[in-house]
Amino acid sequence: MKKTVNNLMNQEAELIKLARAGDRSAQTELVKTHSARIYNLGLRIMRNEEDAEDVLQETFIIMLGKLDQFSGKSSLYTWLYRIATNIALQKLREKKKLDAEISVHEPNFEALRGSQLKEWPDHLEDKVNDEQFRHCLAVAMEDLPENYRAVFVLRDLENLSTKEAASVLSISEANVKVRLMRARLFLRDKLANHLKCVGDMR
Amino acid sequence: MTHQHDDTMIKKIEDQLGSDFDAEIVAEVAEHMRDCPDCKIYVDSVKQTIKLFRVTETDTSVPEDVSDRLFKMLKLK
Repeated sequence: MKKTVNNLMNQEAELIKLARAGDRSAQTELVKTHSARIYNLGLRIMRNEEDAEDVLQETFIIMLGKLDQFSGKSSLYTWLYRIATNIALQKLREKKKLDAEISVHEPNFEALRGSQLKEWPDHLEDKVNDEQFRHCLAVAMEDLPENYRAVFVLRDLENLSTKEAASVLSISEANVKVRLMRARLFLRDKLANHLKCVGDMR
Repeated sequence: MTHQHDDTMIKKIEDQLGSDFDAEIVAEVAEHMRDCPDCKIYVDSVKQTIKLFRVTETDTSVPEDVSDRLFKMLKLK
């Protein structure tokens, strides 16, 4: 297993070397290898396909333009995640400026501590095909402020470690943990409200 | 917490809530949860929340037209 991982890393290092020298097929291969991950990351942070496509395109423009600056200290995907996350957060902040009059204030995370202490129904996963329930999940993610959403996406959906997420976001590991906890409590609270509304929780 | 806990336990529970979803709950928090239904509900519902998002936010492949536009824009293929 370790040998296979090492082989893949060596193959990628070789591709990077060729791509830096202008080899078009190596560049194509790198884009093909990483485009799905970056597209999914874009979708999860931006919450719509059009913006996810912009993040995808801009990330690879930067990758090809700045491949010389990739030190190889982190993996290529961590470097690409950093580029893509920065682009996505920048776009969300710009949108927020445009929508300033309806911008949402920072939630009161303190109020979420220990709130809604009612037992949740079992087998909630069975509800994920319910359109209303899926809509509730989507809205909860959209309402989660971008700094917290990015941490939740990187840690809980993209499975990055605390250290990797800290590196991608250029924040401390302690900060990642606090933001992750707050993001999870925020989403939990939104779902609890929904479950109460639809009568699944008393 | 709305119920009484000392700050150290609250800090430990919150550390747990900011840690790996799959990580084993530290012994002290697990022991506390056995005697504290509110904390058990609190931590379990956070875990349920994460699980639900993981189930719904599944990976999708890049649509063909999106991929075509990407490679065209990068002048690759």
